[in-house]
Amino acid sequence: MWGCRGPVGRQANVARHLREDADVGEDSSWTFHRMHSGENLETLMVRYQQGDFAAASVLIRHISPRLHRFFLAKSMSRADADDLLQETWLRIHKVRHTYRNGEPALPWFYAIARHIRVDHYRKSVRAAAGERELEEMSKGVTTTSPQAGELEALLAPLSESQREVIAMLKVEGMSLEEVARAMSSSVGSVKQKVHRAYKKLRETIGATTPGKWRSGGQA
Amino acid sequence: MKNEEIDDVLKKVAQTPQDLDLRLLERIDESIKPSLRPVRPLPPVWLMAVGLVLVCSAVSLAGAARSGFFGAAKMNLLERSLVFPALGLLASVAAVSFVHQMLPASRLRLSPGVLLALSSVALLAAFAGLFRDYHTDHFFSAGIACLLIGLLHAIPAGLLSWLMLRRGFAVNPASAGLVAGTLGGLAGVGMLELHCPNFQAAHILVWHIAVVPVSAALGAMLGWELHLRTRFRARSDER
Repeated sequence: MWGCRGPVGRQANVARHLREDADVGEDSSWTFHRMHSGENLETLMVRYQQGDFAAASVLIRHISPRLHRFFLAKSMSRADADDLLQETWLRIHKVRHTYRNGEPALPWFYAIARHIRVDHYRKSVRAAAGERELEEMSKGVTTTSPQAGELEALLAPLSESQREVIAMLKVEGMSLEEVARAMSSSVGSVKQKVHRAYKKLRETIGATTPGKWRSGGQA
Repeated sequence: MKNEEIDDVLKKVAQTPQDLDLRLLERIDESIKPSLRPVRPLPPVWLMAVGLVLVCSAVSLAGAARSGFFGAAKMNLLERSLVFPALGLLASVAAVSFVHQMLPASRLRLSPGVLLALSSVALLAAFAGLFRDYHTDHFFSAGIACLLIGLLHAIPAGLLSWLMLRRGFAVNPASAGLVAGTLGGLAGVGMLELHCPNFQAAHILVWHIAVVPVSAALGAMLGWELHLRTRFRARSDER
């Protein structure tokens, strides 16, 4: 499919990028920035809309770790986060025409991821009513990754929406405007949530376990 | 503890290496590759909004043409020049808002609840200022008839609007349904103002304006129902 759309040189570059991506291991964002200087998410998104598989592949490698971390921040097992990531990409693929050229792409990805996560949350709440599902949930907690556990413990005192805002704003480094777009909310409302979240975090981090997080997150 | 210290703690957590399985990414690649074709992006927001306003105007005019323009004929120039532009303006705002609801990560200037409240209050203020006949003849019988006529036009207007933006994607289907219902409700009120010759203030303020919130509520319920059906169908397809 992509062979007939994009230039051959671009395919070769992307193939090389992907190999190097595998070589450097975890730091996909570093790889992305190094290899795509001058090519941002928005440009890649437009190329993805035009049917360019190379662009789609680069987007998947760049966005997936962030979305995965976003799912893990929501007290989710690693297996659930993997499933949601796949589901999110299928949805992104299905509605890729709704991205508008010139608009920021990152909030667009997060808006769809958030929609998938909310769906999953509702489903899991219903499932939690049954005993078997409860057992599965407890298994899920035991398979949570160390990073998810750390983030989860840190954000535990916050409400769902506050966690979401903090995860996007502080962990993912998005701007207030981008978070507001991703949450279909106003900048004022996001600021208010951040303010309340910080108030809770101050109380929790400062009062209950002083030094725990300051010393690098290890208890 | 200071905000900066909390920022540092969060940054430390964010910098923890991400152990994402490369095979998972390859699976995602493989799942989208077979269906990767060029897609046509959605038209500009203003174009879709104009289309929605035209659809709603067409529904109102068609309904009034079938039932008669008795209301518009009975209005004086001041009433005509205030009521219809106000409805047009509110419908334009609702149309833009609906388009934004159907585009993920759009900048929302008005929340659906605020839009509904704004539409209802603006109409209440305009109608209360214009219509000063405080009789309440046949309040319930005439009122319910008008409410039903209004809804009978609001529902097709809302559905046609949804159909027009069917290529969009509502991240919050209930909110999108509420906005579509508000837009349809304004089309219903437009039809009633063109058709209904009953200018009693209580009749207009209660029964005509009630079309907007009732239609919005129906839209929200329908949006949610459609969302559940789509999800159920998607899960069935997966199995």
